[in-house]
Parts: sequence; C-alpha cells; structure tokens
Amino acid sequence: MAKSDDGIRILQGLLVFGNVVIGMCGIALTAECIFFVSDPHGLYPLLEATENDDIYAAAWIGIFVGFALFALSILGIVGVIKSNRTLLLVYIILMLITYAFEMASCITAATHRDFLTPNLFLKQMLERYQKSEPDNNNDKWMTEGVTKTWDKLMLQNQCCGVRGPSDWQEYMSAFRITHNDADFPWPHNCCVMDARGSPVNLDGCKLGVPGYYNSNGCYDAISGPMNTHAWGVAWFGFAILCWTFCVLLGTMFYWSRTEY
Amino acid sequence: WVVLAFCCLGQLCADQSPKPRIAAPQLATNNPTLTTVALEKPFCTFDSSLCPNKSCIIYLYAMKELASAISSQVTDNTSKPLNSTFHQTSGGQLGPYKAALFNVPDCASPPKLTDVGDVNKVSDVLKQYLFRVGDDVNCLYDPNFLGVCNPPLAPDTTYRFKYVLLDSTEGIVKDQTLWSDPIKTRRVKLPLKIDTWPGRRSGDMIVITSILSVLVFLLLAGFLASVSSAVMGSEDSSAETRCVSQMIQSEPRPQLSSE
Repeated sequence: MAKSDDGIRILQGLLVFGNVVIGMCGIALTAECIFFVSDPHGLYPLLEATENDDIYAAAWIGIFVGFALFALSILGIVGVIKSNRTLLLVYIILMLITYAFEMASCITAATHRDFLTPNLFLKQMLERYQKSEPDNNNDKWMTEGVTKTWDKLMLQNQCCGVRGPSDWQEYMSAFRITHNDADFPWPHNCCVMDARGSPVNLDGCKLGVPGYYNSNGCYDAISGPMNTHAWGVAWFGFAILCWTFCVLLGTMFYWSRTEY
Repeated sequence: WVVLAFCCLGQLCADQSPKPRIAAPQLATNNPTLTTVALEKPFCTFDSSLCPNKSCIIYLYAMKELASAISSQVTDNTSKPLNSTFHQTSGGQLGPYKAALFNVPDCASPPKLTDVGDVNKVSDVLKQYLFRVGDDVNCLYDPNFLGVCNPPLAPDTTYRFKYVLLDSTEGIVKDQTLWSDPIKTRRVKLPLKIDTWPGRRSGDMIVITSILSVLVFLLLAGFLASVSSAVMGSEDSSAETRCVSQMIQSEPRPQLSSE
C-alpha cells in the first residue's frame, strides 16, 4: 500500500510540475504571438494584398491558445492536488479542445510559410505598386498598402525590387504604365539618397552607375521577418504540444486511478 | 617601311573605333533599357586636322536596322548633312534621323572614368563621356521646341547609329564613322506569366503535420481507454458492494438463533 501511495505522490508531483511548465509556456506563447501580430516590420500589407495572410491567423489563434493553456494549467494543478475527478475530467476535455486549436495554428503557420516565394512578391509588386486606377475600394486599399510598404522597404533597406532593379526592366508593370522608361527606369526610391531624401545623382541612378543606385533585391528583408514569424509560431507551438501530450497522458492515467 | 608603319598605324587607328560603341558596361550597367541607349562619345575618332578653326561639331544619326534596306545615306549629293527628324522618319523606320548635336569631344584629355565615384564630378564625367539616345520625353509633343529632338526609342527593336563630323561654318560633312553594330532595346515580359506555385512542400511542414497527427490520435485513444476503464471499473465495484451487503445481512441471523 505504501508503495502505491508513494507512486501516486510522485505522479501528482510530476503532473503539478508539468502543468506549471504548461502555464509558463502558455504565457510565453501569448507574448510571442502578440509580438508577431503587432507587425514590427510593417510587412502585413504585402501579405494582405497577396490574400495569403494565414500566418497572421495562426498567430491570432496562438494568442488565445496561450491564454487558455495558462488558465487550464491552474485548473489542472488544483484538480491534481485535490484529486477531484470532476475537475480533472473537465481539465482533460478542455485541454483536448485547446490542443486541437494549437495544432491547427502550427500546421497553418508551417504550411503557409511555403507559399511566400520570391515570385509571389514579384508579381504583386509589379501589379500593384503605384497602380493608378484601382478597380474598387478594396483594390485601392491594397494598392496603397503595397505602395507605402515598398517605398518604406526600399528606403530603409537600401534595396530595389525583389531580386534586383532589373525586375523593373524585365517585366511590364503598373508603375511602367504611368512612368516612362526614359525618366524612370526604376522608381526613384531605388536611387542612393542624400540626407534630404532626394537622389544623389539622378543621371547616375538612371544609367545604373555603381554607387548611385541600390543594386540588391529586397527579398531578404521581406523573407527574414516572415520566416521568423512563421517558424516561431509553428515550432514553439509544436514543442508545447509535445510536452502537453505527455502531461495529458499522465493526467488521464491519474484520473482513471482516483476514486470519487 | 615607314609607309608600311604608317599604314599599320592607320589600320590600328581605324580599327580602334570606326563605329559608335555602347557605353562601358562597368559604368552604365542599365544599358540598353526599354527605350534608351547610352553611347560612348567619339573620342579620338576623327582627325583633328580636318577642323583647323575648331569649328566642327558632331551629329549623331539613328535609324532602325530594317530602314537600312530603304536608305542609309546621311548626306545629300552636295555633302550637306540630312536634316531629318524623328517624326519625319517615323522614329527611324524610313531612314536615319538626326538625334543629337554636340561639340567634338576633347581627345587630349578624355574624362577619367574613375572620377565617377566623386559625387561632385560624376555629372560632368557622365556628360562628357556618353550620350543617352532617347532621353527627352517631352520634345516630340512640345510645339515650341526648336532644338534637335531625341525622343525615346521603341522597345524590342534593333537600332544602328552613326557619328558625322561637320564643319559648322561651311555646313558640309567632313567625315563620318561606319554604322554601329546593331543594338537592340529591351523587351518586357508580362507579370501574368510569373509562376507563383510554391513547388514541393518543405520538410518542416511535413514533420510538424505528421507528428502532431500521430500525437492527437494517441491522445484520443488514451482518453477513450481511460473513460472505458473508468466505466468498467465502476460496474465491477457496484457488483462487489451488492455481494458484500448480502453477506452482512445474512450474518446476524445465526447469533439470534444461538441465544
């Protein structure tokens, strides 16, 4: 009898410890997802215009799941210490639901990261940057978002186009319709700027003289933060789920061993 | 052998740049563009002895390559240069048109291309070294424009260029280069043709999906197992308590009978 008592005590201790870790991870997940949703790099308009912004949906789910994990972990600790079967049953069922949501969030983040290729951003940039005649209000909103984001990207990161300034020369674009090639082989934000925000030498920029235009592409500046976002949500969530799996199995075993 | 040497020198000089050349690609990386071509100015191409009073100027003629079948003459019978414009020749389709007019570049002191790094000198260096055909977007539609119009070229078209040395006082052609090699302007592709298909699934996504699916399945199986064991356990315990209560009831009777 003493041995099984000891065994139960050890199991209780482990479950309490497991729930404490789940609670802390839940708070960490909420904080991380709030950080990603706040979009510190200002790249959300690009995703919104591609209509492929599901990594943000995954982060939103992550915020609520993190909070739910924290609340449920407290319920779990109370239930394990009091050995109350009802509380533990409620805990297990709610945890299973939360588990399902978090699984959805991880898989969504990992899957939709795969869609964010250079060609996607290139096509969107060519079709929307400085588009002069939007079709409707939604189109206008997306066009303004894309234009502002690209202007800011090119100025802050000293880059041009997705792969390079040759993107503007190789492809037809909405920008090309309103800006002729002789004056604007590429947008003026691609030129090296002086302290007042105007090009250092416009002729040098137009001819492509090294040192007067930005010759590298902006794809790294876009994909870096988006990869961090998607992988942060997907892999941290995956780690939490692996730990929660063990704790839940332990709780189910403990529940089946307690008496009413 | 002196004559031979001179001949050879003459050949070398002639071979060096008898035709207009495109500007150095290390300097002008975006060349040719959709509608412009930047050409090197003719340094040391023409003999300076042809212009005793420094009264010479240079004309640049441009034409589409297919116009060479129609006419590629830039002078008329009296050695006077052709005065055709972009508009008259339909952009170089019917023959050469005059695209530019500038002073003879200084052969003795050409601009140093390394000065391009200096912000103050770059404008001058570019202006002295090259000329951009197709630079002026407004002159074609400006009725007040009086100079030589240099409108943008057509995309995806082959052009040829020629420099002509002219004495401005007499108005006759002193020398001309050969027609340049064909230079083609760029062509654009439509953005609709860009393929945005992401290709195969990445390894991350496959690992996460498969492992999580297995874990969820195990959790549900564990949940069902514990619920069913709890249900069966409660049935067993209710059968036991009935047995025990029957035994307790049957015990007190023998005591009463012994008394």
